[in-house]
Amino acid sequence: MPLIELRDVTRRYLIGEQEILALNGINLDIAQGEYASIIGPSGSGKSTLMHLLGCLDTPSSGTMHIDGIDVSRASGNRLAELRNAKIGFVFQNFNLLPKLTVLQNVELPMIYSGISAQERNKRALHAIERVELMNRIKNTPLQLSGGQMQRVAIARALVNRPKIIFADEPTGNLDSKTGATILQMFRELSEEGSTIVLVTHDNKIAAETPRRIEIRDGRIVEDALTEAAFA
Amino acid sequence: MNLWLGFLIGLKEIWAHKFRSFLTMSGVILGVASLLSMFSLTAGMAKGMREYMQQVGGIERVGINTQEVPAEEEGYWEISPGRTVADAEIIARSAPLVSHVTPVSQINNAAIQRTNQTFRGEVAGCWPDFIPINKHTVAAGRGLSDLDVERGLRVCVIGRLAVQKLWPERPKDDPIGETIRINDRPFKVVGVFEYYEREEDKRRRELGAKAPPVNRLSSRPGGGGGGIGGGRGGGRFSPFERKNLTVIIPISTMFWEFKSANMVGKEDQGPQLKLDALTFQVADTNRFEETLEQVHSLIETTHRGIHDFTFDTRQEWFDAIEQNVRNTRMSGGLIAGISLLVGGIGITNIMLASITERIREIGVRRAVGAKGRDIFVQIVVESAVIGVIGGLLGLVASTGIMQILIAISPEANAPVVELDSVLISFGFAVVIGVFSGIYPAWKASRLDPIEALRYG
Repeated sequence: MPLIELRDVTRRYLIGEQEILALNGINLDIAQGEYASIIGPSGSGKSTLMHLLGCLDTPSSGTMHIDGIDVSRASGNRLAELRNAKIGFVFQNFNLLPKLTVLQNVELPMIYSGISAQERNKRALHAIERVELMNRIKNTPLQLSGGQMQRVAIARALVNRPKIIFADEPTGNLDSKTGATILQMFRELSEEGSTIVLVTHDNKIAAETPRRIEIRDGRIVEDALTEAAFA
Repeated sequence: MNLWLGFLIGLKEIWAHKFRSFLTMSGVILGVASLLSMFSLTAGMAKGMREYMQQVGGIERVGINTQEVPAEEEGYWEISPGRTVADAEIIARSAPLVSHVTPVSQINNAAIQRTNQTFRGEVAGCWPDFIPINKHTVAAGRGLSDLDVERGLRVCVIGRLAVQKLWPERPKDDPIGETIRINDRPFKVVGVFEYYEREEDKRRRELGAKAPPVNRLSSRPGGGGGGIGGGRGGGRFSPFERKNLTVIIPISTMFWEFKSANMVGKEDQGPQLKLDALTFQVADTNRFEETLEQVHSLIETTHRGIHDFTFDTRQEWFDAIEQNVRNTRMSGGLIAGISLLVGGIGITNIMLASITERIREIGVRRAVGAKGRDIFVQIVVESAVIGVIGGLLGLVASTGIMQILIAISPEANAPVVELDSVLISFGFAVVIGVFSGIYPAWKASRLDPIEALRYG
């Protein structure tokens, strides 16, 4: 059974009187351990798709299962629980809380899953160790470089041991060299067994992932393995 | 997310915007301070009044006053002898529900002197029961006795302030056996009343912190009205000044020495045997009405059916004062409450501004798994923390306001800080804090996580 399973998923928005069909009949399976990229120009529906996959939103029609759980009509609270337990996010603009330290930022998801303070600390330190920022735990995000901030965000995404990690343009705000190290980190995580979905508009980045899903006008126009799959 | 964590986040938020938070809190601070000051002020007033009422005889003291006769008795009201000693005698003999009764005949502006010390004041001729009825305590010597009254002896019992006025060189002595002159007649002092003062004055004096009573002599002879609060601006006024100036002599002596003639122009109107006051004490306040009826029927016979008398009970007075205190408390509380409410609106306003600033933060929290409920709790706790801190600072501020109030209000009504007032004021601040946060929190909790993440 795939980790993520979408069947005939549509997503409509009402903007004023006008109805916009952002996603139109999406069928998609993503298996455990896959490293995939979703690529498309802006307005193609890739963000909407990512919001659906990331349990930030529910489809207007069709069904969607994540880890065997039907989330097609889940309530806001249920979605929050799923995000907390099964999903890690990495954003283009990092989205760290500027008033919290690195350690506190990484602990944040665990605050909402009722983990004891001691255990939170232990797991956060472990995740920070994984992204090699142990010397920065007392700093606030504004004292870090872009690449370091993104590594904190990755640690935060990892800390609740999610089933799947979504990264929305994770290198968009980084210079190419730093971006490359972040991509390298994703590759390593993938090799360690994490399921990762990377959203991008950059073909070069998409080419790094073994699976490339191209979306245009709300439909999947291509879903194929890349050369990276055979590397 | 647990509350403790929310509390810490709230503290952090407040600390991050110190000045803004303080401005927001100032509404609550002032509200709590005025609420507590208000409560303390009325509590002080009530306490002063109750103490005074107790000291002037309590609820069980009833006076029999004269009144205009009803219209139907107007033609023949002269057949009533008015209030006389006979009234007191019949009450003493035939009213078992009355524990004490005394007739009072007095001179209001008697010259009371000893060698070269003189003051003018009230002298009351009465029975020994005057002492328990008016809650007097004899501190030295003895009170009046039945024998004094029977024989019309020239003896007197005087209050401590009278002693101080007559023996300024040794105000603390008990001049038992010494002689004073009342309107030029010599009287032997047989007893001295204790010094009456408010509880807190007594405590303060015993601690040795405040000036001794000697220095508290007012320059006004006769002790003024003896009312409450009349002393504002008059220095260290004590509501017990009049009581401390009491001079009593046997009523028989009073009649014999001072009331046997009444010169109007050149004509002697004869002895003045009508009383200036007639007071009794109800033995059992639970049978108050019954006692009044009993006395009423007795006085009705001595007054030959003329209803020229009325009862001056303090029940209504007491009720009126309690009612007044409650009303003042209510209206003052309401006004202070409104100012606290305004403080609450300030909190709501700032919380709304604060969540607008933090939409993205809310989005991030939602994205990593916070439920709407978690965001709601966080904002409410933050706002409650403002209420709690504001409340605490308000309590501190009120001690300052209280000092000002103590300085400007009559001493008898000095504010009293009661624990419940503190708890109510503080509790109200916390409640206001929580309630002010509810609307912003509800708004924040309903933010769509996607929109919130995109914001800014």
